[in-house]
Amino acid sequence: MSSSNPTLVFMSSDGVEITVDRDVAERSLLIKNMLEDLGETGEAIPIPNVNEAVLKKVIEWCAHHKNDPASTGDDDDSRRKTTDIDEWDQKFMQVDQEMLFEIILAANYLDIKGLLDVGCKTVANMIKGKSPEEIRKTFNIQNDFTPEEEDQIRRENEWAEE
Amino acid sequence: MSPRELSGAQSRRRPSLSFRPRPRTAIVSTHYATELDNDVWSGLTAVDTPHDEGQVLEETNHFPEPNLRRRGAKSFSSLRHHVDGLRAFGRRLSVTLRNKSARHVSHHHQDDAEDLTHDQHVTPSNRHSWCKGTNINRRPSHNSVSALQGFYAPTAPDSVPVPGNSMESPVFLNDIYAGAAARAAAAAQNEMARTERDKLADTRLTRDSESGIGIDLRDRSEMSDTDLAFLRVDPVAYLPPEVMSHVFTHLDPQSLMQCELVSRAWSEQASSRHIWRHVFRHTYGHGRPSGIARKKKQSAGLGKTIPNQDWKRMFLVRRALEHRWKEGKAAAIYLHGHKDSVYCAQFDEDKIITGSRDRTIRVWDAHYPWPCRKIIGPPPGDVPGIGPVNNPSQQSAGKPPFLTICPPPTLSAEITTPVEQTSEYHSASILCLQFDEEIMVTGSSDYTCIVWDIENDYKPIRRLEGHRAGVLDVCFDDRYIVSCSKDTTICVWDRHTGALVKRLAGHRGPVNAVQLRGDLIVSASGDGVAKLWNITSGHCVKEFHSKDRGLACVEFSDDARTILTGGNDQAIYQFDANTGEMVNELQGHVGLVRSLHLDSMSQRIVSGSYDMSVKVFDAQSGELSIDLPGWTTSWMLSVKSDYRRIVATSQDSRAVIMDFGYGLDGIELLEE
Repeated sequence: MSSSNPTLVFMSSDGVEITVDRDVAERSLLIKNMLEDLGETGEAIPIPNVNEAVLKKVIEWCAHHKNDPASTGDDDDSRRKTTDIDEWDQKFMQVDQEMLFEIILAANYLDIKGLLDVGCKTVANMIKGKSPEEIRKTFNIQNDFTPEEEDQIRRENEWAEE
Repeated sequence: MSPRELSGAQSRRRPSLSFRPRPRTAIVSTHYATELDNDVWSGLTAVDTPHDEGQVLEETNHFPEPNLRRRGAKSFSSLRHHVDGLRAFGRRLSVTLRNKSARHVSHHHQDDAEDLTHDQHVTPSNRHSWCKGTNINRRPSHNSVSALQGFYAPTAPDSVPVPGNSMESPVFLNDIYAGAAARAAAAAQNEMARTERDKLADTRLTRDSESGIGIDLRDRSEMSDTDLAFLRVDPVAYLPPEVMSHVFTHLDPQSLMQCELVSRAWSEQASSRHIWRHVFRHTYGHGRPSGIARKKKQSAGLGKTIPNQDWKRMFLVRRALEHRWKEGKAAAIYLHGHKDSVYCAQFDEDKIITGSRDRTIRVWDAHYPWPCRKIIGPPPGDVPGIGPVNNPSQQSAGKPPFLTICPPPTLSAEITTPVEQTSEYHSASILCLQFDEEIMVTGSSDYTCIVWDIENDYKPIRRLEGHRAGVLDVCFDDRYIVSCSKDTTICVWDRHTGALVKRLAGHRGPVNAVQLRGDLIVSASGDGVAKLWNITSGHCVKEFHSKDRGLACVEFSDDARTILTGGNDQAIYQFDANTGEMVNELQGHVGLVRSLHLDSMSQRIVSGSYDMSVKVFDAQSGELSIDLPGWTTSWMLSVKSDYRRIVATSQDSRAVIMDFGYGLDGIELLEE
């Protein structure tokens, strides 16, 4: 059996085969569980939702973080305490928005908690401290509220006694 | 986030008056204002409790009760459902497809592999070939953004299903995408392809493999006049809601509220309960001690975890409450009944228990109309005592109550437990008490402590005898009951057996106060020294000296790192428990500081003094934040606080609830 084989082959959605160290690949819980359940077949593992460019980025992240301690519980509140992102991850996330969102989708799909978290924090940082208009500009969103609706929400949120 | 940053955020959020329709203009006539307030009062009580007509006497100040306005939550929720249909549909669609393919992969990845190789070029594409090859769709704008090439090479949408890009029709695989949703997606794709055909000669990338998402591109293409628009993607439309909610939980409340104003789709997602639960707890629950058992059963005002809890509303209510603390705006609710000085009190959401020089313990309901539920002790008469009035002229500075409520005393015959044996009560003043879910321990001038069974109608369990003078303070945890006495010693008892475990001697004066955290006891004495003891060894490990005179009270932070003492120096000293260093000195009182309470969650230090004031200090900075002078007519003997109120007891035989949440619409949501 090839279970001791340290590498795996992924096939991206656009049909590109990429060789990955097994310990790197196992940052993805989806892959890890799949390997545990089905064993290794020696064939390329299709990753149908992720194209080559995104998959390479994801693998790059996993390789850099392969020695990170495993994440703790699902509802880990400390995880949410900060939108601080370490420097390497910040650089890593300097991509255009579509790429960023694709990385997040890939991390979500492949179940890579750390990467999903960094991605979401990156988006959160793009939103943080901005006015609605600034957010709209950032993501090219059209304001589809009527002035009355907008006012309603604003008043709702302003609520405090005086 | 530190509490200081937190309060900064709140102050930024101070709402402008213009948004608030004022229910009435300020009326200078006191008489008229009183009438108005009475109206308000009945209106309020009708909402949350059966209204006892005329049962509650009330005097008011000139503050019109501000809480009538109920915001139309109805209209807000209706707005949520008005979300742009197409966009929402598109998102749902994309999620469905994504989920489908995901499931498909994990279980039948073999099949999928076949599907994948169906119609794609197998040659691994060169990383840079995308910008040259004509068979690959690309965005015209990308050529000018060279910096991006190193980061991201958009790839051809050649996974399944193939969206209908440009001139081509979409291709699906029947076995996976045969549903109506897929057909709708295809129709949208086709329509988009048509519009784009008209607009652009060049082949354009719309989207790679995520076919369902392509729908909302239409929005963008309508306004994509600038090249930059191609690089900007609405994450709410692009990412599935569960991922977007992950994003939103990383935001502060202020930012989240801005998100609700971005668009309907954003509003819908950003106002979800799930997200607001996190935000609410993160904002107000961060100081909750996890490892150490909480010393007192004090509510943190974080609400109950029940289905359909309106966490956003809870956040708004809590924010309004914090605003009242900042303003020092509280109602006074006076508990009449004791016939002499009220020395001690403790409370939770349900009840307030007080102990008095009149030898009785009273249990009061913590809710309207705050009746006395029970009197433990010798049966008293029905004439409430009037303690000494040391304070005929109220101090003008500081915060008076905005509303004063004096519930009528309950007839004592109805609530006094019949006397069985006098040995079951204290035969002298109740000087101190503490309770938890199971037991209450009281200490008395009769030299003893009594342990009461809270779960069994306050039946006495046992008496702790060992001190040779009055028991001045008591505290307990899961293992020990610790009492301190005028006899200068501290006794450590086994909570479960009542056995005397240890007697700690070393103070040279009466031990006025004691606190317990784990294996550590801190005690404060009239000799001017506070001592830190180790229970196991029975030794004093550290001393904390006042600058001049005797100490009356002591407080130990939940994490056992900080010790606060108060006394005759009229200052509150803050010590580092590890180094023994005095780290701060809180000034403001002009009389003996009789009682201290530290609320670590809210970062408030509350103090009661013989100067007849209760003061609130910021636990971080040590700054005086609220001054509440003259709410009773004599010395303040005990203070405790939680997220919404301070309960102070006075020598004038009353206890007063300083309720910052009084009449606040929705305050009950915060109860734990």
